[in-house]
Amino acid sequence: MKRYIASRLLYSILILFFVSILIFTLARLMPGDPIQAAAMINTDLANPEIMNDLRAKFGLDKPYHEQYFLWLTDFAKGEWGDSLGSGEEVLAMFLRRLPVTLELFIGATFWSFIIGFPFGIIAALRRNSWLDASLTTTSIIGVSIPVFWEGIVFIYLFAVILPIFPPSGYVPFSESPWENLLSVAMPTFVMGTQTAGLLARYVRSSLLEVLGQDFIRTARAKGLREKAMLIRHAARPALLPVVTVIGLSWGYMVAGSFLVEYMFAIPGLGRMGVNAVFARDFPVIQATLVIVALNVMLANLTVDLVYGYLDPRVRIH
Amino acid sequence: MALKKKLALTLILGGIFLYSFFYIQQGMAEDVPAPTQAWMEWGDAYWPTKPVRGGMFRAASPYYIGVLNPNHFPVMDWITMGYIHEKLINHDGNYKATAPWLAESWEYIDEVTVLMKLRKGVRFHDGSPFNAESVKYQMEWILDKKNGAWSRTMLKPVKSIEVMDSHTVKWHFKEPWGAFLGTMASVPGYQISMKALKAESASTELKILNRRLKGTKRKVKKIEKKAEEAEEEGGKSAKKAEALAEKARKELADMENKIRELKEISKNHRPLDAYPVGSGQFMLEKNSPGNYIQLKRNPDWWYGKSIGKPDMPYFDGYKVSVIPDSSVRLASLKAGALDAISINPVQYKIVEKDKKINLQPFPANWLIWLMLNQAEGPCKDIRVRKAISHAIDRKALIFGIQFGFGREASCIFPDRHWTHNPNLKPVSYDPELSKKLLSEAGYPDGLTIRGVTANTPTAQAFSKAIMGMLGKVGIKWDVKFLSIAGLGKPFMNLEYDMAGGMFQWIFEPDVISTALYTPDGVLNYGRNNNEEVIALIKAGRKEIDESKRIKIYHQLEKVLYDNYMDIYLFYPVLLFASSKNVQGNNTDMIKQYGEIFVRSHPYWFKNGRP
Repeated sequence: MKRYIASRLLYSILILFFVSILIFTLARLMPGDPIQAAAMINTDLANPEIMNDLRAKFGLDKPYHEQYFLWLTDFAKGEWGDSLGSGEEVLAMFLRRLPVTLELFIGATFWSFIIGFPFGIIAALRRNSWLDASLTTTSIIGVSIPVFWEGIVFIYLFAVILPIFPPSGYVPFSESPWENLLSVAMPTFVMGTQTAGLLARYVRSSLLEVLGQDFIRTARAKGLREKAMLIRHAARPALLPVVTVIGLSWGYMVAGSFLVEYMFAIPGLGRMGVNAVFARDFPVIQATLVIVALNVMLANLTVDLVYGYLDPRVRIH
Repeated sequence: MALKKKLALTLILGGIFLYSFFYIQQGMAEDVPAPTQAWMEWGDAYWPTKPVRGGMFRAASPYYIGVLNPNHFPVMDWITMGYIHEKLINHDGNYKATAPWLAESWEYIDEVTVLMKLRKGVRFHDGSPFNAESVKYQMEWILDKKNGAWSRTMLKPVKSIEVMDSHTVKWHFKEPWGAFLGTMASVPGYQISMKALKAESASTELKILNRRLKGTKRKVKKIEKKAEEAEEEGGKSAKKAEALAEKARKELADMENKIRELKEISKNHRPLDAYPVGSGQFMLEKNSPGNYIQLKRNPDWWYGKSIGKPDMPYFDGYKVSVIPDSSVRLASLKAGALDAISINPVQYKIVEKDKKINLQPFPANWLIWLMLNQAEGPCKDIRVRKAISHAIDRKALIFGIQFGFGREASCIFPDRHWTHNPNLKPVSYDPELSKKLLSEAGYPDGLTIRGVTANTPTAQAFSKAIMGMLGKVGIKWDVKFLSIAGLGKPFMNLEYDMAGGMFQWIFEPDVISTALYTPDGVLNYGRNNNEEVIALIKAGRKEIDESKRIKIYHQLEKVLYDNYMDIYLFYPVLLFASSKNVQGNNTDMIKQYGEIFVRSHPYWFKNGRP
């Protein structure tokens, strides 16, 4: 297993290297110039000399290959450059925003578990009943509602009409634990409902499949109680697709969090990355994409390992 | 385009809602003489209730402020910057740099020399004084390339600055510079503590020297070793080696002394990009980049004391949260989580009847326009340009897309601007004339013109309306909608015949006219090259006599207008919404007196609480 993990990690580094070339090239292929973009917002910059000075300051006047190797070596040393959009150090930006997005994802995963599992299990156990139909419909609605619409409805319902939660913004846990929970309650719920709907559908179909297996029939024939049979025999194999859903959602953590972070004014990685794309903020785009690639690879690796743990048939020796 | 609009709406919002003051009272502090200009003569009509101290004012912006040294890139929120740093000169109600602030008075001695008297009794947030030395140091700091000030180019005409006495400086220019006052009311005019700037420079130098120190030590050791070896051998080479070693030791000692000195200067220094030291009414309390910036009240603000109002500013603090979405900003205002925001015209109807919210329209010094490529293609022909201009119904655009919040434009300087030519009327809507002109130009069956514009909802709505209007006279405007960043390339390569555009914050007339109508202007790239226009722009930049300068810019507008150089659509009206608890916002007086009124009239809460 250790050898397998090591080889996967080495393989990941190689992939990351090629990904870095791809990322750098794609960023430069995007039409537009970051300094020109800034000048369109800040008209005081509307002077060719000022703009050339700024291009030189950020190394944008150098040939592309020089820019790439400079970026790669600096990146590896932990010097990720300064953001063209905010002037902050990119590494500091990333480190400040990572816990925020992680908190969102942990919260969203919590909600998706709380909602998705019971919905899926009940729907499977009460197959073809009105309860199954209504839970399935609710799950589909959960998956289908656009995040920005759900977000604004929640803001108006629970911040404007019923002032329970703050309408937007983020308070770090270190500043005030209670306000932190209040500030992430709505965004994590909105984000969680998306995955919850999907999770409920997967849990239902997976459980139905498992419940129809011979070993479940045998367990029932042996007189095992329904609850014990569910927990001891059905739960573990039924978890496999769930791991896929959770793994995939964590893999797309940065990209998937953008809309929620945008709507609820949460300063996380998703908003940082997408804003960078709009502003052609190359240092931030490049760093974000490398992190996204790394995250996807790690999530896939974790999913593979958890699969092996849950299902001995796919265990790697 | 909408992004720019959102940004700018929010920027001005903060300023407009921060300031208040009831009326000027007697009893000025002895050491801080108050400004005594016309904008202070308001009488009792300003506000019916007495200001109350207390509360945290909460506003929102779609972007984080950026870096907190105005001379470094990027700064995204100039209004918040204006709470921390104050300028030498402010703009009046006609967007002209006439209102003394940290500069008390100025006088052109000749075309290339200005004598400027500075206000006494002003101190920066670190307790250091504002004086002639600090102004000279700051300007030289900006001009020094190694400090990376993007505003350096703005001070290009400066030859030198001479300290005449503690609060008088004499500016020497390389050539006559009519835009000097406008520049001092712009980025380089924001004053920063000299002590902090010196510490910043020392800190940068210290880092460099510390890096060099190890190498120098190694070098000295090597030379000393060689000297010892040479001494053992004896002879002339020993003396020479010892002299070299002595020189190296001295160099090291000098370096160590310098390091000690720099350490002393930069003791407790924190980078100005993150920890600003200005003289404004608020100081940085805490910030979370990308999330919010929170300022606290400056209890020693010179202006409040100078007019016998030591309670100014009235708020305990000022917080700007980053909320990217305009509907969430509005929800936050309605929920009481914010005290004031800027709103889009489409949101006007939502808040119009809200009893808890005040709405103030404010005519902005912005221009919405269509720029034409006259270097190639059909727009080289004035008849085509004229046909396009007459085919657009500006009133309908303002009514339909802006919900009435705009003023028809005649040329580049907005209607309230000091260089606006009042004799020019907006181009009339006359589709029949357009058709006739197209026919004369050789396009009796119409023509297709290429276009680019921003892909924001507002820009798309405008463009589609214009496409419809042009379609009626046989012009097909084939538009590509691109992100704001993506517009750069087609602009630079002139890959369009007509492009959408917006120019915000038109103060110093030289800035917009140079950007638009000189060949190396950033919104030109050779799209037009009118010698008469360029000569007028150069003359305006140099002219120091105000009345002559106004005449030059009137003439410039006339030439642009007569040549249909571009399509000037309208000057927008910005909308601000605030909680009724916010007091002191006299919109009429803001319109009349402009920026200086905003700077000198801090707001307050009715009950001292948000």
